[in-house]
Amino acid sequence: MRRFDIVTLESPNRAPLRIEGFLFGEENTKGPSIAIVGAMSGDHVNQLYVASGLVDYLRTKEEEGKIIGKILVIPAVNAYALNMGEKFWPLDKTDINMMFPGYHQGETTQRIAARLFDTLKGYDYGVILEGRRDQGMCLPYVKMIQSGYEDLECAKDLGMNFIHYRPHEPVETAMLQYNWQLWETKAFSIVFGKNGTIDQRDSEEVHTALVRFLSKRGMLKFSVFEGKQSNIIDPHKITLLKASRAGIFISKVRCGTHVEKGERLGKIIDALSGEKLEKIISPCEGIVTCQYSHPLIFQNSIAFRIASVEICCQIIN
Amino acid sequence: MGIVEEVFTIELPVGESFRIQRCRYTSKNEEDSKRISIVSGIHGDELEGQYVCFLLGEWLRQNPEKIRGTIDIYPAINSLGIDSITRSIPFYDVDLNRIFPGSKNDFLPAQIADGVVNVMRGSDLAIDIHSSNVFLREIPQVRIAKSQEETLVPLANLLNIDFVWVHDAVTVLESTFAHAMNTIGTKTLVVEMGVGMRLGKAYGHQLLDGLLNLMAHEGILEIEPLKVRFPIQSHVGEVAYLNAAYPGLFVPAIEHCQMVSKGDVVGHIVSALSGEVMDEVIAPIGGMLFTLRAYPIVYEGSLLGRIFGKICGDSQ
Ligand SMILES: [Zn+2]
Repeated sequence: MRRFDIVTLESPNRAPLRIEGFLFGEENTKGPSIAIVGAMSGDHVNQLYVASGLVDYLRTKEEEGKIIGKILVIPAVNAYALNMGEKFWPLDKTDINMMFPGYHQGETTQRIAARLFDTLKGYDYGVILEGRRDQGMCLPYVKMIQSGYEDLECAKDLGMNFIHYRPHEPVETAMLQYNWQLWETKAFSIVFGKNGTIDQRDSEEVHTALVRFLSKRGMLKFSVFEGKQSNIIDPHKITLLKASRAGIFISKVRCGTHVEKGERLGKIIDALSGEKLEKIISPCEGIVTCQYSHPLIFQNSIAFRIASVEICCQIIN
Repeated sequence: MGIVEEVFTIELPVGESFRIQRCRYTSKNEEDSKRISIVSGIHGDELEGQYVCFLLGEWLRQNPEKIRGTIDIYPAINSLGIDSITRSIPFYDVDLNRIFPGSKNDFLPAQIADGVVNVMRGSDLAIDIHSSNVFLREIPQVRIAKSQEETLVPLANLLNIDFVWVHDAVTVLESTFAHAMNTIGTKTLVVEMGVGMRLGKAYGHQLLDGLLNLMAHEGILEIEPLKVRFPIQSHVGEVAYLNAAYPGLFVPAIEHCQMVSKGDVVGHIVSALSGEVMDEVIAPIGGMLFTLRAYPIVYEGSLLGRIFGKICGDSQ
C-alpha cells in the first residue's frame, strides 16, 4: 500500500487541506484498475466509513498477496467540511462534486476538482460513494446516468438489488460520474446511507458489493458469494408517496420492507396540537426503497418511494 | 396601489407556511395585456434587488395612471433565506438557481422552483435581480447566454446598466430560473450588481431608471423613455480573470469600477501571521475593473477581480 497526497492546498490560517489516496497493487500492473472516491461533502460520513473500511480490508489482502489489479481509494475529498460540520467547501459553500472536470486556472474548488480529476483519469473503473442530496435514506443502490458512455453491464457485478438507470440532468454534467464516463472510465455511483450518520447494515452491504466487484472484475484474487441479480429501475417503476401535510413524521417501516397494498407505512402528526393529520397507506405492493429521514416533514415532501415490478400508481400532479 | 398576494405557499412542519408574495400593479384598461415580472431574492443573501423592488413599488404607487400592463414584483423568492442571511434553501442547502425548472414530485427546493415557474408562466418579460454574492462586488450588468443573444441584448441595452456580458452556453446553467423562463417564452434578463448582504443605493436608482425605460419601450408604462447609459458590450473585448495565486488576506489597492492599465497593481495578498506580502496582484490587461473582491479571506483560486478590456497583442 502506498499512502500519498493527491491534492494539497494551503489555507490562509488553518492547516493545509490534504486529499489522501491509498494505492494498492502494482503501479504498472497489467490487471484492471479502479478508483473509489468517498466523501465529497461533509455530511457523507457513511461514505467515509465504507471507504476507510475498504482501505483497511485491502491492506490485509495485499499482505496476503491477493491484489492483482491497481486499486486507489480516496476516503475523503472534503476533509475541511467534515472537520467542521459543513456540507460544502467551508468558505464559499460550493460543492466540489459540482465542479468537474475542474479548471486549473479557476476558482478554488474548480482547482481542487481539476487536480483530483487528473489523478482519476485513465482508470478502467470508477466508483463514487454518494449520499442523497435530499432528506432521504434509501436501500443502497447503484446510480448510473446515461451519458452515452455508460456501461450498465459492469455495474451488475456489484450484485446489488437495484440499479437506477436514467438520463442525466443538466446539473449532473458538472458532477464526477458524468465527466468520468466521458473520459471513458466505466463510472457509477453507489448511493446509500442517511447523511450525517452511519448505518452498519448498509455499510456492510456496500463493502461486500465492492469486494465482489473487485473480485469479479479481476482486481482481487478472492472468491465471494454471488450477489443479487440487479433490477434495473427507471423512474417509472417507482411510486412516490407524498406527505399531504407538514408536521412530525413517524415511519413504521424500514427501507427494504416488502409492503402490501393497503399497508400502513407511517403517519404525520401536527407538530403543535399532536392531532393525527395523515395516515400514509401503501397504494400498491412493492418494496420500500427510500423514505424521508428527518423527523420534521414538509408538505408535499416524498415520504416513501416504493419500487414495484408492475407500475401501480405513479403519482403525477 | 398594488395588490399583495401570496402566490405560492407550502406548509412548514411547525405552525408556519413557506410563502412567496408578490405585489401586482395592473392597468385600468383591460386591453393592456403585457406583463412583466420583477424578481429578486432567489439567493437569500442578495439584497440589492429588494431595494429596487421598493423603489419601483414607490414609483408605481405615485404614478398609477401611467400603468399600461401588468407589473408583478416578487422581492423575496427564497423568503426563508432572505430573512436569515441564507443563500440556499435552508434545511436542504440547495442553490435554488440550480434546480429549475423544478418538479412537483421532488424535494422542497424543486417544488419551490416549480411553483415559481408556474406563477410567472405567461409573463412576457422577467428581470431577475442578483447582487453577486458576499465575495464579489459587481457593476450593474446583465449576463446573457450566447443562444439568447439576439432576443435579449436589445432589451438589456435599455436597462441603464454598465455592461452586457454574453457568455458561452454552459449546460449547468440550464438549471437556472432565467433559462427555464426563456425556454417557456418569457424573455428573462439576469441582472448582477453590487455585493451580497449589502445595499448600494446608487445602483438601485440606476436600475430603477432602467426598468422604467424598458417598460416605456415595451408599452407597459405610458411615459417618455428615459435617457439611459448604453452598456459596454462584451463582444468588443475580452474578460480577464484575476484569481489568487496564494492564500491569505486580500487588500485591494484600487477602487472598484476603475480603469486600470496593464501592469497596474490591483491589490496585495498578505499574511496576517508573518507580516509578509505574499503576492502582488497585477492587472494582466488594461481595461475596466468591473468585478472586485469584497470579502478579504482568499484561498488559491479565489476570484479577486475581473477586468474587461482589449487583450494586448504582445506576449507576456
Ligand atoms: Zn444570485
